[in-house]
Amino acid sequence: MTDVHVVGVGMTRFGKHPDKDATDLGAAALLEAVADAGIDPRIIESAYVGHVFQGMVTGQRILAQVGLAGLPLSNVENACSSGATAIREASLAIRAGENDVVVAVGTEHLTSKFSGALTPDPSDPEAAVGATMPGVYAMRATRYMEDHGMTREQLALIPVKNKANAARNPLAHFRKEITVADVLESRPIADPLNLHDCSPVTDGAAAVIVMSDRAAKKYANGRGVRLAASALRSGSVDVTPTSMTFEPLTWATAQDAYERAGIGPDEVDFAEVHDCFSIAEVLRVEGLGLFEQGSYPWAVERGEADINGRLPINPSGGLIGKGHPLGGTGVAQVVELVRQLRGEAGDRQIEGAKVGLAHCRGGKAVGIEGAACTVQILIR
Amino acid sequence: MTTTVIEESFRPGELEVRPDGTGNLLGSRCRSCGAHFFPTREACAGCLSQDLDAVKFSTEGVLYTYSVVRQSTPAFEVPYAIGYVDFPEGVRIMGQIAGLEFDEITIGMPMTLSLEPFGENEEGDPLTGYRFRPAEVTND
Ligand SMILES: [Zn+2]
Repeated sequence: MTDVHVVGVGMTRFGKHPDKDATDLGAAALLEAVADAGIDPRIIESAYVGHVFQGMVTGQRILAQVGLAGLPLSNVENACSSGATAIREASLAIRAGENDVVVAVGTEHLTSKFSGALTPDPSDPEAAVGATMPGVYAMRATRYMEDHGMTREQLALIPVKNKANAARNPLAHFRKEITVADVLESRPIADPLNLHDCSPVTDGAAAVIVMSDRAAKKYANGRGVRLAASALRSGSVDVTPTSMTFEPLTWATAQDAYERAGIGPDEVDFAEVHDCFSIAEVLRVEGLGLFEQGSYPWAVERGEADINGRLPINPSGGLIGKGHPLGGTGVAQVVELVRQLRGEAGDRQIEGAKVGLAHCRGGKAVGIEGAACTVQILIR
Repeated sequence: MTTTVIEESFRPGELEVRPDGTGNLLGSRCRSCGAHFFPTREACAGCLSQDLDAVKFSTEGVLYTYSVVRQSTPAFEVPYAIGYVDFPEGVRIMGQIAGLEFDEITIGMPMTLSLEPFGENEEGDPLTGYRFRPAEVTND
Protein backbone atom coordinates (compact mmCIF):
# COMPACT_ATOMS: atom_id res chain seq x y z
CA MET A 1 0.00 0.00 0.00
CA THR A 2 1.22 3.51 -0.76
CA ASP A 3 2.22 5.98 1.94
CA VAL A 4 0.52 9.36 2.08
CA HIS A 5 2.51 12.60 1.83
CA VAL A 6 1.45 16.16 2.60
CA VAL A 7 2.94 18.15 -0.25
CA GLY A 8 1.20 21.54 -0.16
CA VAL A 9 -0.24 23.57 2.71
CA GLY A 10 -2.17 26.83 2.93
CA MET A 11 -3.92 28.78 5.63
CA THR A 12 -5.68 32.12 5.91
CA ARG A 13 -5.06 34.49 8.78
CA PHE A 14 -7.22 33.33 11.70
CA GLY A 15 -9.37 36.03 13.30
CA LYS A 16 -12.38 38.10 12.37
CA HIS A 17 -13.12 38.42 8.64
CA PRO A 18 -16.32 40.52 8.45
CA ASP A 19 -15.92 41.08 4.70
CA LYS A 20 -15.51 37.39 3.80
CA ASP A 21 -17.43 34.12 4.13
CA ALA A 22 -16.49 30.46 4.55
CA THR A 23 -16.28 30.00 0.78
CA ASP A 24 -13.87 32.92 0.31
CA LEU A 25 -11.67 31.71 3.15
CA GLY A 26 -11.68 28.08 1.95
CA ALA A 27 -10.86 29.14 -1.62
CA ALA A 28 -7.95 31.32 -0.45
CA ALA A 29 -6.49 28.48 1.63
CA LEU A 30 -6.88 26.01 -1.23
CA LEU A 31 -5.16 28.31 -3.74
CA GLU A 32 -2.29 28.85 -1.31
CA ALA A 33 -1.89 25.08 -0.85
CA VAL A 34 -1.78 24.63 -4.64
CA ALA A 35 0.86 27.36 -4.93
CA ASP A 36 2.85 25.88 -2.04
CA ALA A 37 2.81 22.46 -3.73
CA GLY A 38 3.83 24.11 -7.02
CA ILE A 39 1.34 21.99 -8.96
CA ASP A 40 -1.12 22.56 -11.76
CA PRO A 41 -4.47 22.40 -9.92
CA ARG A 42 -5.83 20.19 -12.71
CA ILE A 43 -3.97 17.20 -11.27
CA ILE A 44 -6.21 17.25 -8.14
CA GLU A 45 -8.57 14.28 -8.40
CA SER A 46 -10.93 14.63 -5.45
CA ALA A 47 -11.73 16.86 -2.47
CA TYR A 48 -12.93 16.59 1.14
CA VAL A 49 -14.15 19.73 2.85
CA GLY A 50 -14.79 19.97 6.61
CA HIS A 51 -17.10 22.57 8.15
CA VAL A 52 -19.73 22.63 10.90
CA PHE A 53 -22.14 25.58 10.71
CA GLN A 54 -21.67 26.67 7.07
CA GLY A 55 -24.69 24.93 5.57
CA MET A 56 -25.05 22.64 2.59
CA VAL A 57 -22.42 22.15 -0.13
CA THR A 58 -19.90 24.72 1.09
CA GLY A 59 -17.24 22.46 -0.42
CA GLN A 60 -18.77 22.70 -3.89
CA ARG A 61 -18.96 26.49 -3.55
CA ILE A 62 -15.23 26.57 -2.78
CA LEU A 63 -14.28 24.41 -5.77
CA ALA A 64 -16.50 26.53 -8.03
CA GLN A 65 -14.59 29.63 -6.85
CA VAL A 66 -11.24 28.19 -7.92
CA GLY A 67 -12.19 26.54 -11.20
CA LEU A 68 -12.21 22.97 -9.87
CA ALA A 69 -15.96 22.29 -9.94
CA GLY A 70 -16.76 18.78 -11.11
CA LEU A 71 -14.40 16.81 -8.89
CA PRO A 72 -15.76 14.11 -6.59
CA LEU A 73 -16.26 15.92 -3.27
CA SER A 74 -17.60 15.09 0.17
CA ASN A 75 -18.56 17.69 2.74
CA VAL A 76 -17.50 16.39 6.16
CA GLU A 77 -19.05 17.22 9.53
CA ASN A 78 -17.57 15.79 12.74
CA ALA A 79 -17.87 18.81 15.06
CA CYS A 80 -14.43 20.24 15.94
CA SER A 81 -12.79 17.24 14.25
CA SER A 82 -14.41 18.01 10.87
CA GLY A 83 -11.25 19.29 9.17
CA ALA A 84 -9.10 16.51 10.59
CA THR A 85 -11.67 13.98 9.42
CA ALA A 86 -11.51 15.51 5.93
CA ILE A 87 -7.74 14.87 5.91
CA ARG A 88 -8.32 11.29 7.03
CA GLU A 89 -10.84 10.74 4.23
CA ALA A 90 -8.36 12.18 1.73
CA SER A 91 -5.65 9.86 3.04
CA LEU A 92 -7.97 6.86 2.74
CA ALA A 93 -8.71 7.71 -0.91
CA ILE A 94 -4.96 7.58 -1.54
CA ARG A 95 -4.26 4.45 0.51
CA ALA A 96 -7.13 2.71 -1.27
CA GLY A 97 -5.45 3.45 -4.60
CA GLU A 98 -8.45 5.43 -5.81
CA ASN A 99 -6.58 8.74 -6.17
CA ASP A 100 -3.00 10.05 -6.30
CA VAL A 101 -3.63 13.74 -5.51
CA VAL A 102 -6.39 14.86 -3.15
CA VAL A 103 -7.12 18.16 -1.41
CA ALA A 104 -8.58 18.48 2.10
CA VAL A 105 -9.97 21.84 3.18
CA GLY A 106 -11.36 22.98 6.53
CA THR A 107 -13.26 26.24 6.79
CA GLU A 108 -15.52 28.15 9.12
CA HIS A 109 -16.93 31.67 9.23
CA LEU A 110 -17.89 31.39 12.86
CA THR A 111 -18.38 35.06 13.75
CA SER A 112 -21.41 35.25 11.43
CA LYS A 113 -22.98 32.07 12.80
CA PHE A 114 -22.56 32.22 16.49
CA SER A 115 -21.49 34.15 19.57
CA GLY A 116 -21.10 33.38 23.26
CA ALA A 117 -20.87 29.86 24.63
CA LEU A 118 -21.06 26.83 22.35
CA THR A 119 -23.54 24.20 23.55
CA PRO A 120 -24.33 20.60 22.63
CA ASP A 121 -27.14 20.18 20.09
CA PRO A 122 -30.42 21.50 21.61
CA SER A 123 -31.97 18.02 21.32
CA ASP A 124 -29.46 16.68 23.84
CA PRO A 125 -30.72 16.03 27.40
CA GLU A 126 -27.68 17.84 28.83
CA ALA A 127 -28.25 20.92 26.66
CA ALA A 128 -31.85 20.89 27.95
CA VAL A 129 -30.67 21.42 31.54
CA GLY A 130 -28.17 24.16 30.68
CA ALA A 131 -24.95 22.40 29.63
CA THR A 132 -22.50 24.61 27.75
CA MET A 133 -19.16 23.43 26.41
CA PRO A 134 -17.25 25.78 28.76
CA GLY A 135 -19.43 24.46 31.61
CA VAL A 136 -18.58 20.84 30.83
CA TYR A 137 -14.83 21.58 30.69
CA ALA A 138 -15.10 23.72 33.82
CA MET A 139 -16.58 20.71 35.64
CA ARG A 140 -13.65 18.60 34.45
CA ALA A 141 -11.25 21.30 35.73
CA THR A 142 -12.99 21.33 39.12
CA ARG A 143 -12.57 17.56 39.37
CA TYR A 144 -8.94 17.62 38.16
CA MET A 145 -8.10 20.15 40.88
CA GLU A 146 -9.75 17.87 43.45
CA ASP A 147 -8.02 14.70 42.18
CA HIS A 148 -4.53 16.06 41.48
CA GLY A 149 -4.18 19.27 43.48
CA MET A 150 -3.68 21.53 40.46
CA THR A 151 -4.00 25.21 41.41
CA ARG A 152 -5.88 27.90 39.50
CA GLU A 153 -2.55 29.67 38.87
CA GLN A 154 -1.05 26.51 37.33
CA LEU A 155 -4.02 26.22 34.99
CA ALA A 156 -3.53 29.86 33.94
CA LEU A 157 0.01 29.07 32.74
CA ILE A 158 -1.47 27.22 29.74
CA PRO A 159 -3.15 30.27 28.12
CA VAL A 160 -0.05 32.30 29.04
CA LYS A 161 2.14 29.81 27.12
CA ASN A 162 -0.21 29.45 24.15
CA LYS A 163 -0.74 33.19 23.71
CA ALA A 164 3.03 33.73 23.91
CA ASN A 165 3.38 31.23 21.05
CA ALA A 166 0.55 32.91 19.12
CA ALA A 167 2.36 36.24 19.46
CA ARG A 168 5.10 34.68 17.27
CA ASN A 169 2.59 33.39 14.69
CA PRO A 170 1.63 36.00 12.06
CA LEU A 171 -1.57 34.08 11.21
CA ALA A 172 -2.85 33.81 14.81
CA HIS A 173 -6.05 35.43 16.08
CA PHE A 174 -4.26 36.85 19.16
CA ARG A 175 -0.83 38.46 18.85
CA LYS A 176 -0.43 39.75 22.39
CA GLU A 177 1.30 38.04 25.31
CA ILE A 178 -0.63 37.83 28.59
CA THR A 179 0.20 37.17 32.23
CA VAL A 180 -1.26 34.84 34.86
CA ALA A 181 -2.91 37.92 36.41
CA ASP A 182 -4.58 38.71 33.06
CA VAL A 183 -6.06 35.20 33.00
CA LEU A 184 -7.26 35.36 36.61
CA GLU A 185 -8.78 38.84 36.14
CA SER A 186 -10.54 38.12 32.84
CA ARG A 187 -14.33 37.74 32.73
CA PRO A 188 -15.63 34.54 34.40
CA ILE A 189 -17.24 32.15 31.88
CA ALA A 190 -17.83 28.95 33.86
CA ASP A 191 -15.99 28.62 37.18
CA PRO A 192 -13.04 28.10 37.36
CA LEU A 193 -12.60 29.04 33.67
CA ASN A 194 -12.33 32.69 32.62
CA LEU A 195 -12.34 34.28 29.18
CA HIS A 196 -8.58 33.76 28.64
CA ASP A 197 -9.03 30.03 29.37
CA CYS A 198 -11.35 29.70 26.37
CA SER A 199 -10.63 29.50 22.65
CA PRO A 200 -12.18 32.45 20.77
CA VAL A 201 -14.87 32.64 18.10
CA THR A 202 -12.70 32.72 14.97
CA ASP A 203 -13.06 32.80 11.18
CA GLY A 204 -10.47 30.97 9.11
CA ALA A 205 -9.62 28.17 6.74
CA ALA A 206 -6.75 25.85 5.93
CA ALA A 207 -6.00 23.37 3.17
CA VAL A 208 -3.56 20.54 2.51
CA ILE A 209 -2.73 18.63 -0.64
CA VAL A 210 -1.93 14.97 -0.06
CA MET A 211 -0.33 12.60 -2.52
CA SER A 212 0.53 8.95 -3.06
CA ASP A 213 4.17 7.77 -3.25
CA ARG A 214 3.95 7.87 -7.02
CA ALA A 215 2.63 11.46 -7.21
CA ALA A 216 4.94 12.71 -4.44
CA LYS A 217 7.97 11.36 -6.31
CA LYS A 218 6.92 13.44 -9.29
CA TYR A 219 5.71 16.65 -7.61
CA ALA A 220 7.03 16.99 -4.03
CA ASN A 221 10.55 18.30 -4.81
CA GLY A 222 11.73 17.13 -1.39
CA ARG A 223 9.16 19.23 0.45
CA GLY A 224 6.71 16.42 1.21
CA VAL A 225 6.09 15.29 4.78
CA ARG A 226 4.83 11.75 5.39
CA LEU A 227 1.40 11.39 7.01
CA ALA A 228 2.35 8.26 8.91
CA ALA A 229 -1.02 7.83 10.64
CA SER A 230 -4.46 9.39 10.49
CA ALA A 231 -6.66 7.73 13.10
CA LEU A 232 -10.31 8.44 13.87
CA ARG A 233 -12.58 7.16 16.63
CA SER A 234 -15.98 7.95 18.09
CA GLY A 235 -16.71 8.05 21.81
CA SER A 236 -18.28 4.96 23.32
CA VAL A 237 -21.13 4.81 25.83
CA ASP A 238 -19.99 4.47 29.44
CA VAL A 239 -21.28 1.26 31.00
CA THR A 240 -20.28 2.70 34.37
CA PRO A 241 -19.23 6.31 34.96
CA THR A 242 -15.48 6.77 34.60
CA SER A 243 -13.09 9.52 35.61
CA MET A 244 -13.74 12.78 33.79
CA THR A 245 -10.08 13.72 34.27
CA PHE A 246 -8.84 11.06 31.85
CA GLU A 247 -9.83 10.57 28.20
CA PRO A 248 -10.31 6.96 27.07
CA LEU A 249 -11.34 8.27 23.63
CA THR A 250 -8.11 10.25 23.17
CA TRP A 251 -6.11 7.31 24.55
CA ALA A 252 -7.70 4.76 22.19
CA THR A 253 -7.33 7.00 19.13
CA ALA A 254 -3.70 7.68 20.02
CA GLN A 255 -2.91 3.97 20.45
CA ASP A 256 -4.37 3.36 17.00
CA ALA A 257 -2.22 6.17 15.52
CA TYR A 258 1.00 5.07 17.29
CA GLU A 259 0.50 1.53 16.05
CA ARG A 260 -0.10 2.65 12.45
CA ALA A 261 2.93 4.98 12.54
CA GLY A 262 5.11 2.35 14.22
CA ILE A 263 6.22 4.74 16.96
CA GLY A 264 5.53 5.29 20.65
CA PRO A 265 4.60 8.52 22.42
CA ASP A 266 8.22 8.91 23.56
CA GLU A 267 9.24 9.46 19.93
CA VAL A 268 6.95 12.47 19.43
CA ASP A 269 8.97 15.72 19.21
CA PHE A 270 6.05 18.19 19.49
CA ALA A 271 2.27 18.25 19.30
CA GLU A 272 -0.66 20.43 18.37
CA VAL A 273 -3.54 19.37 20.63
CA HIS A 274 -7.16 20.43 20.94
CA ASP A 275 -6.94 23.10 23.67
CA CYS A 276 -10.47 24.42 23.24
CA PHE A 277 -10.09 25.30 26.95
CA SER A 278 -7.01 25.51 29.18
CA ILE A 279 -8.01 22.34 31.07
CA ALA A 280 -8.51 20.56 27.75
CA GLU A 281 -4.78 20.78 26.96
CA VAL A 282 -4.04 18.99 30.25
CA LEU A 283 -6.53 16.22 29.50
CA ARG A 284 -5.34 15.83 25.87
CA VAL A 285 -1.60 15.48 26.47
CA GLU A 286 -2.17 13.05 29.34
CA GLY A 287 -4.69 11.07 27.26
CA LEU A 288 -2.16 10.94 24.41
CA GLY A 289 0.42 9.44 26.79
CA LEU A 290 2.79 12.37 26.13
CA PHE A 291 2.79 13.26 29.85
CA GLU A 292 1.86 11.08 32.81
CA GLN A 293 -1.60 11.37 34.26
CA GLY A 294 -1.77 14.11 36.88
CA SER A 295 1.63 15.57 35.92
CA TYR A 296 1.12 18.11 33.12
CA PRO A 297 0.43 21.29 35.14
CA TRP A 298 3.77 20.81 36.91
CA ALA A 299 5.54 20.10 33.58
CA VAL A 300 4.17 23.37 32.18
CA GLU A 301 5.40 25.18 35.28
CA ARG A 302 8.90 23.82 34.56
CA GLY A 303 8.73 25.04 30.94
CA GLU A 304 8.75 21.53 29.44
CA ALA A 305 5.92 22.39 27.00
CA ASP A 306 7.46 25.66 25.77
CA ILE A 307 8.75 25.98 22.19
CA ASN A 308 12.30 25.45 23.49
CA GLY A 309 11.19 22.87 26.07
CA ARG A 310 11.47 19.08 26.20
CA LEU A 311 8.16 18.51 24.39
CA PRO A 312 6.62 21.68 22.91
CA ILE A 313 2.81 21.68 22.98
CA ASN A 314 0.81 23.97 20.67
CA PRO A 315 3.71 25.96 19.18
CA SER A 316 1.22 27.62 16.79
CA GLY A 317 -0.62 29.13 19.76
CA GLY A 318 -3.19 26.35 19.79
CA LEU A 319 -6.90 26.96 19.69
CA ILE A 320 -6.61 29.43 22.57
CA GLY A 321 -4.03 31.63 20.86
CA LYS A 322 -4.26 30.92 17.15
CA GLY A 323 -8.07 30.67 17.22
CA HIS A 324 -10.68 27.98 16.68
CA PRO A 325 -12.68 28.15 13.42
CA LEU A 326 -14.25 24.73 14.05
CA GLY A 327 -13.94 23.15 10.58
CA GLY A 328 -10.62 24.88 9.92
CA THR A 329 -8.93 23.82 13.15
CA GLY A 330 -7.90 20.24 12.33
CA VAL A 331 -6.45 21.19 8.96
CA ALA A 332 -4.59 24.18 10.43
CA GLN A 333 -2.94 21.85 12.98
CA VAL A 334 -1.51 19.76 10.14
CA VAL A 335 -0.38 22.94 8.34
CA GLU A 336 1.57 23.86 11.49
CA LEU A 337 3.09 20.37 11.71
CA VAL A 338 4.26 20.56 8.09
CA ARG A 339 5.73 24.07 8.52
CA GLN A 340 7.57 22.99 11.69
CA LEU A 341 8.87 19.78 10.10
CA ARG A 342 10.04 21.65 6.99
CA GLY A 343 11.76 24.27 9.16
CA GLU A 344 9.47 27.04 7.85
CA ALA A 345 7.94 28.10 11.18
CA GLY A 346 9.86 31.37 11.55
CA ASP A 347 10.04 32.83 15.06
CA ARG A 348 8.34 29.81 16.59
CA GLN A 349 10.51 27.16 14.92
CA ILE A 350 11.25 24.07 17.03
CA GLU A 351 14.85 23.03 16.42
CA GLY A 352 15.37 19.62 14.85
CA ALA A 353 11.75 18.42 14.98
CA LYS A 354 11.23 15.15 13.08
CA VAL A 355 7.94 13.74 14.44
CA GLY A 356 4.82 15.84 15.02
CA LEU A 357 1.41 14.83 16.34
CA ALA A 358 -1.94 16.58 15.83
CA HIS A 359 -4.95 15.83 18.02
CA CYS A 360 -8.52 17.02 17.61
CA ARG A 361 -11.70 16.09 19.36
CA GLY A 362 -15.10 17.56 19.24
CA GLY A 363 -18.74 17.22 20.01
CA LYS A 364 -20.68 16.22 23.08
CA ALA A 365 -23.62 13.89 23.38
CA VAL A 366 -25.22 12.59 26.54
CA GLY A 367 -23.66 9.42 27.97
CA ILE A 368 -20.54 9.44 25.77
CA GLU A 369 -17.21 10.90 26.77
CA GLY A 370 -16.64 12.74 23.48
CA ALA A 371 -18.02 12.45 19.95
CA ALA A 372 -15.22 12.46 17.37
CA CYS A 373 -11.47 12.22 17.96
CA THR A 374 -8.57 12.24 15.49
CA VAL A 375 -4.85 11.74 15.94
CA GLN A 376 -2.48 12.34 13.01
CA ILE A 377 1.25 11.72 13.03
CA LEU A 378 3.58 13.38 10.54
CA ILE A 379 7.19 12.29 10.11
CA ARG A 380 9.87 14.16 8.22
CA MET B 1 -59.07 25.99 48.76
CA THR B 2 -56.16 25.80 46.38
CA THR B 3 -55.70 23.54 43.43
CA THR B 4 -52.26 22.17 42.75
CA VAL B 5 -51.62 22.12 39.04
CA ILE B 6 -49.08 19.48 38.07
CA GLU B 7 -47.41 20.59 34.89
CA GLU B 8 -46.18 18.21 32.24
CA SER B 9 -42.58 16.97 32.15
CA PHE B 10 -40.13 19.11 30.18
CA ARG B 11 -38.69 15.90 28.66
CA PRO B 12 -41.23 13.05 29.11
CA GLY B 13 -38.81 10.40 27.88
CA GLU B 14 -36.25 11.32 30.52
CA LEU B 15 -38.25 12.60 33.49
CA GLU B 16 -41.47 11.07 34.79
CA VAL B 17 -43.72 13.52 36.65
CA ARG B 18 -46.51 11.99 38.78
CA PRO B 19 -49.77 13.71 39.88
CA ASP B 20 -48.54 13.97 43.49
CA GLY B 21 -45.58 16.07 42.36
CA THR B 22 -42.97 13.33 42.75
CA GLY B 23 -41.03 11.82 39.88
CA ASN B 24 -37.95 10.00 38.66
CA LEU B 25 -35.31 10.22 35.98
CA LEU B 26 -35.83 7.40 33.47
CA GLY B 27 -33.45 5.06 31.67
CA SER B 28 -32.69 1.48 30.72
CA ARG B 29 -31.38 -1.61 32.52
CA CYS B 30 -29.81 -4.46 30.59
CA ARG B 31 -31.53 -7.74 31.53
CA SER B 32 -28.49 -9.66 30.37
CA CYS B 33 -25.60 -7.93 32.22
CA GLY B 34 -27.33 -5.50 34.59
CA ALA B 35 -25.78 -2.28 33.24
CA HIS B 36 -27.86 0.89 33.56
CA PHE B 37 -28.07 3.74 31.07
CA PHE B 38 -29.31 7.31 31.02
CA PRO B 39 -31.04 8.19 28.77
CA THR B 40 -32.96 5.17 27.46
CA ARG B 41 -30.99 3.06 24.95
CA GLU B 42 -32.07 0.53 22.32
CA ALA B 43 -29.15 -1.81 23.02
CA CYS B 44 -26.68 -2.34 25.86
CA ALA B 45 -23.28 -0.71 25.27
CA GLY B 46 -21.64 -3.44 27.36
CA CYS B 47 -23.01 -6.67 25.86
CA LEU B 48 -25.12 -5.43 22.90
CA SER B 49 -28.23 -7.18 24.25
CA GLN B 50 -31.45 -5.54 23.04
CA ASP B 51 -33.32 -6.99 26.00
CA LEU B 52 -33.57 -3.83 28.12
CA ASP B 53 -36.06 -2.86 30.83
CA ALA B 54 -37.29 0.66 31.41
CA VAL B 55 -36.16 1.80 34.86
CA LYS B 56 -36.72 4.69 37.25
CA PHE B 57 -33.51 5.81 38.91
CA SER B 58 -33.03 6.47 42.62
CA THR B 59 -33.59 10.05 43.68
CA GLU B 60 -30.45 10.30 45.87
CA GLY B 61 -26.86 10.39 44.66
CA VAL B 62 -23.46 11.96 45.19
CA LEU B 63 -22.07 15.09 43.46
CA TYR B 64 -19.16 14.08 41.18
CA THR B 65 -18.25 17.59 40.02
CA TYR B 66 -19.79 21.01 39.38
CA SER B 67 -19.35 24.49 37.91
CA VAL B 68 -21.07 27.86 38.03
CA VAL B 69 -22.07 28.83 34.49
CA ARG B 70 -21.81 32.58 33.91
CA GLN B 71 -22.31 32.71 30.14
CA SER B 72 -24.97 30.62 28.42
CA THR B 73 -27.65 30.67 25.72
CA PRO B 74 -30.65 33.03 25.93
CA ALA B 75 -32.75 30.08 27.18
CA PHE B 76 -31.00 30.18 30.58
CA GLU B 77 -30.62 33.04 33.02
CA VAL B 78 -27.06 33.24 34.37
CA PRO B 79 -25.42 32.56 36.72
CA TYR B 80 -26.51 29.02 37.59
CA ALA B 81 -24.72 25.99 39.01
CA ILE B 82 -24.58 22.69 37.14
CA GLY B 83 -23.20 19.37 38.28
CA TYR B 84 -22.95 15.67 37.60
CA VAL B 85 -24.54 13.40 40.20
CA ASP B 86 -23.58 9.72 40.46
CA PHE B 87 -26.59 7.54 41.25
CA PRO B 88 -26.35 4.13 42.95
CA GLU B 89 -27.45 2.27 39.81
CA GLY B 90 -24.18 3.36 38.14
CA VAL B 91 -25.32 6.31 36.04
CA ARG B 92 -23.97 9.88 36.09
CA ILE B 93 -26.56 12.54 35.26
CA MET B 94 -26.16 16.28 34.73
CA GLY B 95 -28.51 18.81 36.24
CA GLN B 96 -28.66 22.28 37.70
CA ILE B 97 -27.93 22.63 41.42
CA ALA B 98 -30.27 24.60 43.69
CA GLY B 99 -30.63 25.24 47.41
CA LEU B 100 -26.96 26.14 48.01
CA GLU B 101 -24.86 29.26 47.77
CA PHE B 102 -22.33 28.75 44.98
CA ASP B 103 -19.44 28.64 47.45
CA GLU B 104 -21.17 25.94 49.54
CA ILE B 105 -21.15 23.41 46.70
CA THR B 106 -18.60 20.62 47.31
CA ILE B 107 -17.57 17.48 45.44
CA GLY B 108 -18.93 14.40 47.26
CA MET B 109 -22.05 16.09 48.67
CA PRO B 110 -25.17 13.89 48.90
CA MET B 111 -27.76 15.32 46.51
CA THR B 112 -31.44 14.65 45.95
CA LEU B 113 -33.63 14.97 42.85
CA SER B 114 -36.12 17.83 43.11
CA LEU B 115 -38.96 18.39 40.61
CA GLU B 116 -39.37 22.07 39.87
CA PRO B 117 -40.81 24.47 37.31
CA PHE B 118 -38.40 24.43 34.36
CA GLY B 119 -39.10 26.44 31.22
CA GLU B 120 -42.27 26.43 29.20
CA ASN B 121 -43.77 24.75 26.13
CA GLU B 122 -44.51 26.39 22.77
CA GLU B 123 -47.88 27.64 24.08
CA GLY B 124 -46.14 29.36 26.99
CA ASP B 125 -47.41 26.92 29.64
CA PRO B 126 -44.92 26.14 32.41
CA LEU B 127 -43.20 22.75 32.38
CA THR B 128 -41.77 20.59 35.15
CA GLY B 129 -38.09 19.74 35.09
CA TYR B 130 -35.57 18.83 37.74
CA ARG B 131 -32.72 20.23 39.78
CA PHE B 132 -30.42 18.67 42.33
CA ARG B 133 -30.62 19.92 45.91
CA PRO B 134 -28.52 18.97 48.91
CA ALA B 135 -29.96 15.85 50.56
CA GLU B 136 -31.56 16.41 53.98
CA VAL B 137 -29.11 15.63 56.74
CA THR B 138 -30.76 13.49 59.41
CA ASN B 139 -29.88 14.73 62.90
CA ASP B 140 -29.80 12.23 65.75
ZN1 LIG C 1 -25.70 -5.69 28.82
